[in-house]
Amino acid sequence: MMGDAIAWIFIFPLLGSVLAALSGFVNRKLAYPISVISMVGAFGAGVETLLQAINSSTHEVSYILGGWTLDLFPRGVGIEFRVDILAGLISIIVLGVGLIVTIYSKLAVEDETPNKESIYYSLMLLQITGLAGICMTGDAFNLYVLIEVAALTGYGLIAIGSNRAAAATFNYLILGTIGASLYLLGVGYLYIKTGTLNMIGIREVIEANGLADSATMQVAFVLVGVGILIKMAFFPFHVWLPNAYCNAPTTTSCLLAPLVTKVMIYVMIRMLLSVFGVEFSFESTIWVNWMPWLVVVAIICAAFMALAQREIKRMLAYLIVAEVGYMVGGIWIYNYYGMIGSIFHIISDACMTLCLFLGTGIILRACKTTHFDGLRGLFSKMPLTMIGFFIGGFSIIGLPPTCGFFSKWYLITGGMVSERWEYMVVLMFSTMVMVVLFFRLIERIHLAVSESGENLGKGHGDLGLSKEQTRFNEAPLVMLIPLLVSASCVILIGIYNQEVVNQIEIFLQDYDLPTGVDH
Amino acid sequence: MKVLSLIPVIAIGFLLIWAAQDFPEWGDVNSPASKAAVSNHFIGNTGVDTEVPNMVTAVLADYRGFDTMFETVVVFIAGMAVLAILKGSVKGNAKRKDHEVDNEPDLIVTNTVRLIIPVIQIFAFYVLAHGHVSPGGGFQGGVLMGASFILIALSWDLEKALSRFPVEKCMLVAALGILLYAGIGLLSMFLGGEFLDYAELEKVLPVSREMARYHAMLGVEIGVGFTVTAIMFVLYANLASEGRLKEGL
Repeated sequence: MMGDAIAWIFIFPLLGSVLAALSGFVNRKLAYPISVISMVGAFGAGVETLLQAINSSTHEVSYILGGWTLDLFPRGVGIEFRVDILAGLISIIVLGVGLIVTIYSKLAVEDETPNKESIYYSLMLLQITGLAGICMTGDAFNLYVLIEVAALTGYGLIAIGSNRAAAATFNYLILGTIGASLYLLGVGYLYIKTGTLNMIGIREVIEANGLADSATMQVAFVLVGVGILIKMAFFPFHVWLPNAYCNAPTTTSCLLAPLVTKVMIYVMIRMLLSVFGVEFSFESTIWVNWMPWLVVVAIICAAFMALAQREIKRMLAYLIVAEVGYMVGGIWIYNYYGMIGSIFHIISDACMTLCLFLGTGIILRACKTTHFDGLRGLFSKMPLTMIGFFIGGFSIIGLPPTCGFFSKWYLITGGMVSERWEYMVVLMFSTMVMVVLFFRLIERIHLAVSESGENLGKGHGDLGLSKEQTRFNEAPLVMLIPLLVSASCVILIGIYNQEVVNQIEIFLQDYDLPTGVDH
Repeated sequence: MKVLSLIPVIAIGFLLIWAAQDFPEWGDVNSPASKAAVSNHFIGNTGVDTEVPNMVTAVLADYRGFDTMFETVVVFIAGMAVLAILKGSVKGNAKRKDHEVDNEPDLIVTNTVRLIIPVIQIFAFYVLAHGHVSPGGGFQGGVLMGASFILIALSWDLEKALSRFPVEKCMLVAALGILLYAGIGLLSMFLGGEFLDYAELEKVLPVSREMARYHAMLGVEIGVGFTVTAIMFVLYANLASEGRLKEGL
């Protein structure tokens, strides 16, 4: 049974979601324990799979659904699940975030979507199934199917909240469908030219037949790339993201914000390295010259838009758009260190975004608002929550020893080594903006300053609030513990960054990326 | 705005047409796709591997059965998402719409429908079961079956159709369809193969490995049929009545 661990990763949440849907007939309260149990199972299977991949001599685990052969050239008769170290790391992140959010969700789901718990948990587990599947699949069309699973459940999970959320979802639905269709068209073109859908198979055919100069392949590359960029909310395709994440129920934004964009960046890395191959992606196309400049524009615009927000959730949504720019830039500066930085930043960004959104969920529950003005005195009221929230914020800024520092370090190193100065400068600039953003927030929480800058307190730690308003009133444990766990993950991944980077380097051994200037 | 949105449309259209210049010639045996072993394997070995004459069904339900399982899940999600959004979205008895009328069901329509529905439903079973040799299968059969319930709702009213197939039962049937599909996959895994490796079912079925694949494909098609039937009707019932599950169109 241990050899099947990879299959259990999707079987657990899939069966869990069906059972959660059926639990609506018996007792809606059953949906929560069913979800937690199936997520624990899936997380265990994910850890086991990652360990198998690390310990195997080829550094990957392959699982052919349906038991078909891989001996033909090119491979691709059945659907293959291939977990190499990159896929293993990202799927662990997906499952870990899924587990933490599932545990956290209890009170929020009961309050925000009464009478719909069973539907909610069923959709949520299917969302995690889809995202984890995207990480593990080795088949370009199966990837599309799983993207659809993740996208459709996402629409449902966002729109379940309120009427405003439904309107935001409609935008998301239109743009998401355009993105997925472009991706599908690209895969269709790949299939016409190569005759296989297996990712490794496609690369084998491209290399064996010298297809890199073919117009069809070039267009397929653009279609797949643009489709993924829309899905990951890369500026200027980000318009669906802020409204969708701000109006969604708390648990939904906690689940989607750390995962969806990051998983799509994983898909971009997978497409560039494993499907098209390094040589095709970076040397036979012109995009490597232009993408870093698009990234520069994206990061600057997203940073300014984040600066303009007066509400935590909306500010975080624009931060996500900026972070997407970091990671896309790290990939497209075409450099070994940049790629390490991007992959590491997927992991650390998922952790710190999770931390911030879990914290925001608690703030929203306690204050009934996430507007900056409503936060005064929050530190004396719920110090532990605020510490967790700040750790996430420090990691976004990139303060050591949080993991955000180390991933940004590799990204900047990549920019420096490949002499992409524009990318390096814009990373520095965006870091400054993040400092302003979070210290402004910290000031609002600690000091008695109103929006217009006048002092509301009498000094000496007086916030101008009554005793009642600042009395210690910490969040419920079922919400607090997931937040503290994710905050400690941010610090632990930072401290043990070398272990993670070692594994990423093992993954990158197979790909020939330049370590110096190359453009 | 309309003019602006033309620009990306034209750009993408141009790209797609430009890409077509490089397509392999029609039926070109020397193109990489024709030389690739994948489609040749499907054409040459479907009958040997699975004994299913209809290649499309074999590719859909067996070679790429995992995709089809998640396509079924997508259908299930669609139903759940509509329920999630519409359930309880209209408070109390909202105003009646102009197109809602009080007329009695029409005598001629209802009597014709009484005659047609059994035929449609039997044809649905035929399409489902005959997918192995002719066009058809779980999705098509399920749509026909779901359409027969929609026909009841159209010619009488929604309550009449819902009294035969309540929404709760629909969700139960839809979930059972997925459980059936995943269950067959899981069973073949427990019997020693990979997930969805139907050939392993020979250990519990009194047939050869090839025929085990044949029968398991019928099993998963039935699962697909369950889910599609139920979700078709759930979608209609909810969308037609804005989630109130009353009166309808």
